[in-house]
Amino acid sequence: MKKLIKNIWICRYRIAIWLLFSQSSVLAQSTPELEYQLKAVFLFNFTQFTEWPADSFHSDSEPLVIGIVGENPFGAYLESIVSGEMKGGHPVVVKYYKDEEDAGTCHVLFFHIKDPQRRKEIIEGATDKNILTVSDDAAFLKEGGMVRFFTSSNKIKFQISLNACKKARLELSSKLLRVADIIEPPEIK
Amino acid sequence: MANPLNQPRRKCAQSTTFLAAVFLSLLSSAAFSQSRDTLPSPLLLKALSLEELMNIEVTSVSKKSEKLREAPSAVQVITQQDIRHSGARTLAEALRLAPNLQVAQVNSSQWAISARGFNNVLANKLLVMIDGRTVYTPLYAGVFWDVQNVLLEDVERIEVISGPGGSLWGANAVNGVINIITKRSSDTKGLYAQAATGSNGQALGSIRYGGQLAKGLSYRVFGSGYKLGNAIDTNGLEANDKWWMINGGFRLDWEGSKKDKLTLQQNIYYGKPNPDAADTSAIIARGDNILAKWNHIISEKADYQLQAYYDHTWRDFRNGFTEDLKTYDIEWQNRYQIDRRHELTYGLDFRLMDHTVTNLELFAFLPAHKRLYLYSLFLQDEIMLIKERLRFTAGLKMEHNSYTGFEYQPDVRLTWTPTETQTVWTAVSRAVRTPARIDRDFYLFLTPDLPFVSGSDNFRSENVMSYQLGWRLRPRKNLSISLSSFYNVYDNIRSVEPGPAPFNIPITFSNGVEGKAYGMELAATYQLASWWNLRGGYTFVKKELSVKPGSKDMNEASAESDDPKHQFLLQSSMNISKHFEAGAVLRYSSKLPDPYVASYAGLDVRIGWNIGKSLQLNIVGQHLLKNRHVEFIASPPKFRQIQRSIYGSIAFRL
Repeated sequence: MKKLIKNIWICRYRIAIWLLFSQSSVLAQSTPELEYQLKAVFLFNFTQFTEWPADSFHSDSEPLVIGIVGENPFGAYLESIVSGEMKGGHPVVVKYYKDEEDAGTCHVLFFHIKDPQRRKEIIEGATDKNILTVSDDAAFLKEGGMVRFFTSSNKIKFQISLNACKKARLELSSKLLRVADIIEPPEIK
Repeated sequence: MANPLNQPRRKCAQSTTFLAAVFLSLLSSAAFSQSRDTLPSPLLLKALSLEELMNIEVTSVSKKSEKLREAPSAVQVITQQDIRHSGARTLAEALRLAPNLQVAQVNSSQWAISARGFNNVLANKLLVMIDGRTVYTPLYAGVFWDVQNVLLEDVERIEVISGPGGSLWGANAVNGVINIITKRSSDTKGLYAQAATGSNGQALGSIRYGGQLAKGLSYRVFGSGYKLGNAIDTNGLEANDKWWMINGGFRLDWEGSKKDKLTLQQNIYYGKPNPDAADTSAIIARGDNILAKWNHIISEKADYQLQAYYDHTWRDFRNGFTEDLKTYDIEWQNRYQIDRRHELTYGLDFRLMDHTVTNLELFAFLPAHKRLYLYSLFLQDEIMLIKERLRFTAGLKMEHNSYTGFEYQPDVRLTWTPTETQTVWTAVSRAVRTPARIDRDFYLFLTPDLPFVSGSDNFRSENVMSYQLGWRLRPRKNLSISLSSFYNVYDNIRSVEPGPAPFNIPITFSNGVEGKAYGMELAATYQLASWWNLRGGYTFVKKELSVKPGSKDMNEASAESDDPKHQFLLQSSMNISKHFEAGAVLRYSSKLPDPYVASYAGLDVRIGWNIGKSLQLNIVGQHLLKNRHVEFIASPPKFRQIQRSIYGSIAFRL
């Protein structure tokens, strides 16, 4: 018993020290509000629960890219979340795009853009390129977006449009769908 | 095990060293992390399941504690996190985490739980509610703790208010209110399954599945059960009071619109507690209840709530005596802001308790069947005297019951918030404990015609005038402290009076005890780092009761209660890494005067190991400092000792 306690303890001590270092490096940068910390973790989770068509990757080791267009509410937090993480052999990375035209090579795209026309163009372009589109915008699903964050009872929830995902040939795991609100907005012409 | 005297001491030394090690070596790293924000670390967030992520309140830390900080009462909250990290197996064990409660285990299935003293297995000055349903037997105005089971994983929080809550909550809230609140079913989507086994033949299991049926309509179904092992009897032998309990039910929540919320929930239970350690026949306790609730928001300034429930509970003591209670309750509550200064809340409640017993020849409640009606009206006005600084709250509850007619429970409170981080409050309240059937209708016969004990029609309500002063402060973002003090003046507390000479029978109950109690409760929560939370408190209670002139109380003003003067609690919860969690609860209770129970310290430790996102392994040790110990003696000279317990559990979330 004594030996067991000792072993557990040594193991934990190491973890604690390591944790301290890993945390302080993140803290050196500014940390976003809890809301966006959670959304960052959700974005990472989306990469784990989504299957892309085989042709969205050119090679087995090509990174899986989470793209951010426009304003970046995550700071460097999203990077710290995905650092070292993989998805089926593809390392998960974050890229920031000034212009949505550069965003064609990513796999998940998060954006918050005010201009509805521009928004629509991004969604259409992304759907053609099998990109999972994610946003906070209230009208996002109506405009053809796939996943929309919203806040209910002070907690982060999300809605998913399965039709939109299907159009982009994306398959979402049942684990993800079970906790989401499935919303199918009427088809837009 | 051969020498029970040596065993505890050695174990004790080992356990304390272990705890010291945990605390000391983490102290250095904690010093570094103090300055930063108390947000969860990326590692921890990533380790959470989708369901758990969706359960984190975005603004919880500041907003909720802000509300708590301003609350003009001695309220303490036990969160889901606190329960999980403690390794508590049952609701009663989870209540040990409230620094402002006296919680003592009597034997394997019986508990004595109270606030601000007057503790006993038949404690009658505490009001307990589970999701708004009052859990109460009019048999003795107390709670049968052995049937109050909830799936602890689905508890959102437990609010424990020490001090009178009579004006808002109603009779019985003389010394405190416990509010057990379970999660909305929209927050319990997916599968949760847990199985545990351990020392002393204990086994626990629970399963829950939740999901969404339609937009805004969510559900969960659940079942849980446990088997708990023997205590040790007066002779040092296994007492054979092991017992088991199962329960199950469902909850439906519908958020029809932003303004309407409907809840329907049901719970069914069956258990065989065996407090008397009978060889052949344990008690059979079963029941079911169903509750519906409708919340409607009229505007930002007004809302109302309508709630109705039916609760059926049945208990067969297996000696011929049975108790059957059907409670029907409907209540309405309306809040609206009259103007910038006044916020008015009023409520109406109607309750019928249909109580039937099967009597024994010499042990009886007469009449055997009784309908108890209760209706009440409460009114409360919250007046903002100085905007955001000084609030005055006046409340009154008028209640009519079948035994004593009208009872009045007024309450005034003043809340001063001098700065953003602190609140000073004071309250003066009156609360009553209305008669229970045991006070009025109980008979114990020597022969079928000769009563030895007889209930008394003259028994009135017990009452308290309570004066409280409290201070809540939050000197830093990660530290909140609450200090409350009270001075309670009691009158008409139950006494046991000898009958007329020469034989002094029948013995009757009267209101022959008066006196005062005073004390203070200090509690604090300290988020040392995002991964390390410390909480705890110290509680001091002193009772000075005396026999009133004219009374010959045979209990000599003990009010049949036995309370520790000093209590201490410290809980540490650590999320050490993505994979490891460690929790410890240390508690101390000073001696109980009569029946004498020695002071004791208890230590529970939990180690949790997360494997991936869905699997968790736990090892929990309870009462680690001693092989066995006594917490409360309900029927001297016999007593039971609670054994050390170790269990391992596996939990699965999908």
